[in-house]
Amino acid sequence: MTSSLLPRQALWWLIGSQLYVALPHFSRVPLWILAVYAGAALWRLQMYRHRADMPHKLVRLMLGLGLGGSVIVSYQTFVGLDPMVALLLVASALKGVESVRVKDGYVLVSLGLFIMTTQFLYDQQLPTMLYGVIGTLLLVISLIAINQRPGASLGRRECFLALRMLGLAMPMMVVLFVLFPRIDPLWSVPSKTQQGTTGMSDVLRPGDVTRLGRSSEVAFRVQFDGSIPPNRELYWRGMVLNQFDNRAWRTLEWKDHPAIERQLERPTLEGDSLHYHVIMEPSMQNWLYALPYAESDSRGVFETWDFRLAVAKPLESTFSYKVVSQQPTALQPVLSQWRRETELAFPPGLNPRTRAWVAEQLAAVEGVDDFILRVLRYFREQPFFYTLEPPAISDDDFVDQFIFNSRRGFCEHYAYSFVVIMRMAGIPSRIVGGYQGGEVNDVNNTLVVRQFDAHAWTEIWLENRGWVRVDPTAAVSPARIELGLESALAEEERFLTDSLLSAYRFRNVSIINWLRLRYDAAAWRWQSFIVGFDSGEQINLLKLWFGEIKVGWFVAALLGSWIAILGPLTWWMTRSRRSSDRLPTEKAFAALCRILARRGIDRQIGETPLHFLTRVEAQLAANDPLVIELEKLAVRLYAPVSGSIE
Amino acid sequence: MQSLIEQTVANIGEVVLGKELEVRRALCCLLSGGHLLLEDLPGMGKTTLAHALAHSLGLSFGRVQFTSDLLPSDILGLSVFDRERSDFEFQAGPIFNQLLLADEINRATPRTQSALLEAMAEAQVSIDGQTRPLPNPFFVIATQNPIHQSGTYALPESQLDRFLMRLSIGYPSAEAERRLLVRGDQSGLAQLPISMNAQQLVEIRGSVNAVALSDSLIAYVQRLTAFTRDAPEFAMGLSPRGMLALVACARTWALMAGRDYVVPDDVQAVIESVVAHRLVPSADYSGDGAALVALMQRSVDVIPE
Repeated sequence: MTSSLLPRQALWWLIGSQLYVALPHFSRVPLWILAVYAGAALWRLQMYRHRADMPHKLVRLMLGLGLGGSVIVSYQTFVGLDPMVALLLVASALKGVESVRVKDGYVLVSLGLFIMTTQFLYDQQLPTMLYGVIGTLLLVISLIAINQRPGASLGRRECFLALRMLGLAMPMMVVLFVLFPRIDPLWSVPSKTQQGTTGMSDVLRPGDVTRLGRSSEVAFRVQFDGSIPPNRELYWRGMVLNQFDNRAWRTLEWKDHPAIERQLERPTLEGDSLHYHVIMEPSMQNWLYALPYAESDSRGVFETWDFRLAVAKPLESTFSYKVVSQQPTALQPVLSQWRRETELAFPPGLNPRTRAWVAEQLAAVEGVDDFILRVLRYFREQPFFYTLEPPAISDDDFVDQFIFNSRRGFCEHYAYSFVVIMRMAGIPSRIVGGYQGGEVNDVNNTLVVRQFDAHAWTEIWLENRGWVRVDPTAAVSPARIELGLESALAEEERFLTDSLLSAYRFRNVSIINWLRLRYDAAAWRWQSFIVGFDSGEQINLLKLWFGEIKVGWFVAALLGSWIAILGPLTWWMTRSRRSSDRLPTEKAFAALCRILARRGIDRQIGETPLHFLTRVEAQLAANDPLVIELEKLAVRLYAPVSGSIE
Repeated sequence: MQSLIEQTVANIGEVVLGKELEVRRALCCLLSGGHLLLEDLPGMGKTTLAHALAHSLGLSFGRVQFTSDLLPSDILGLSVFDRERSDFEFQAGPIFNQLLLADEINRATPRTQSALLEAMAEAQVSIDGQTRPLPNPFFVIATQNPIHQSGTYALPESQLDRFLMRLSIGYPSAEAERRLLVRGDQSGLAQLPISMNAQQLVEIRGSVNAVALSDSLIAYVQRLTAFTRDAPEFAMGLSPRGMLALVACARTWALMAGRDYVVPDDVQAVIESVVAHRLVPSADYSGDGAALVALMQRSVDVIPE
């Protein structure tokens, strides 16, 4: 039997679910793909209304090739995640146009599931998962609609059936989730473009952190084993900026160091250690955030010479790591000559007024500590303001402008000025970037650190004490450090005014806040147990269950047993579908038609053997064996014994 | 036998010019023993075709012009009191002819329509408690006008089903129209020879049953029927009676073509006339019965892939 036609109501579900799964991708693909989608859907609806015919096979082929080519042209390449997704979207749009039979419906649903999955290559957060579940449900309903009797209505019963089918698939899903081998990708997933990622970067200009202050996106989540330290101690170190160059502070890279400086120094530690687990959102950077002094034994995490944690590749997806932090007695108590020079370097000609001021202060103080206190007191006593909207200073002599004239700035302005003053006074110092504070979620005792918690502070090196943290912002606005950014900006009323719909903004509404905190707790579970379940965790779990086993053997046994069960099953199912109750003559005729089709003579659907014969005779020689065979078959198909009457 | 049929087609073709296919189909309908519904605009030759068929098949002919005040007794006949014999005497109505032309059938009231349709189904009429058989063969050719429907009573689907075929004749070709003009007033009906007698007609109808149906063809007809029941364009699929009618006509068509077995070409030649009036398109389908038949023909393959 030829595959029967798609029921009309199924078409709506198919088009709807296709649009649904494609929707999140539309923000990432070029606009013309949206137009292709709309055009295809419109054309299909016109076909549904019998106002248009399906485009000819040749036209469809040309469209497919043309649009595939357009994808390559508009991305300039064929490899990579984005062009692949675009190609998939175009394919599903075109397939939608030619979907008239039930088997096309199956292809469309499978494509939809695949597109749904590609969504997770971009984002693996809880909302994406929920979106995916709804999408899968829609696709399953479409599957039911495809298999319905035409004209039957699709009601609550069918929706419940879809839910039940998904429910029945759950155990299988769990088994696959736990057991399916997490093979490292055979090819590296092409890097996503860095568009639209927020977060700290390894170059700091005045105004960079200020911009982050307007975003309530989550940067990372932390769960402490014990109690959460007070806000003022939560300095999440991310990167260290040592070098001033062309109006910006930069990180020294590994390759900038002389060979002798590359080795790690382990400080002696004292006091209680803090154990915590961090899940970072994709940052497109390779450093991790942790409280000083941090050590981690998570896979792929290493320590750097400036006592930070980092990974080898920029984080393109969420990353989870465990950290132990403990207070050092002294961080790098001995400073090498090269390092001292690096941490003191500042272009000599800049900021003459500051240089004069520093010299003046130095003359009046006794010792380094007194000088530092004096500078901090200056920040506290002079009319400095902590603000999200500092005036732009484009001058080369930034510090002169800032500390004597504008005096309105965000954390990086203070850190910048403070480091310059220290370096002018001969005290090695550097800017540290990261996050400060975070929001405690009592529901599951986690800390959520958002982009607006981004902060910049300084570290100065003191004889015998090593690197010591000094936060000049605390001198200007103690509330920022004790209570967070919002309290610090209470008077300004500029906090998060740009993100109108952010749930964080409405946390004064108790029900929203209640929901928000519970959602965050669920998101933590999702990130730590589901997204974080990597091959290492899998192997640990399997070892727990099955004892010591060889991973390779386990995978082989697993795949082997699946192939052993599913292989024969698939073969049997396709075989039973293929062998219909066709007569031998009909099979022979169909075979002959295939041969003739290869010769370029296609039989149309509904064309009778006799009509086809006249067409074939017109194209082939009369004594062609194919013609003779066709002639015989055309009679044998229908005649009882032979010939005709009279 | 085939020459007899060809002769009949040729004879009628002398009267109904340039409409060989329609004449063949109409003849096929009568040879299959079914009733014919002619649906076309006024003046297209419906009555002429009916007259020519009756005449050349040698059938007795009666005609009733249906109007809204037509009563069942005007068709069936009635008993009249004979004063001299002091008894009722039955005066047979036009239905007691071998071929009845029911002109503009949709103008009569449903009551009168059903009296006729009942007689068509039963091949007998009951009047005053007495059952009277209708002649054999008995054919009805009904005509109706597809437009100007005001003041008419459209035949319901269940009654359309009583007609084996519904035909429309359509405008003649330019060549046929030229000959029509040259011929002038003379319709040629008077000169039309009688091609066969009722006895021969009954014989032909008997031999239709000998036409063979192969398994492939039965499967094809079943697929066609299944399509009308599955495809979403149909509000109502083809009934078993409709399927039987299709096969009966295809058999006659095969016989008319001189074959003792049916090929799909036979089915396709008659399918529109037999099936179109039995199909109801679904509410959101813009086409009519003919479009549905076309859809069937291009969707259902004769031999499955």
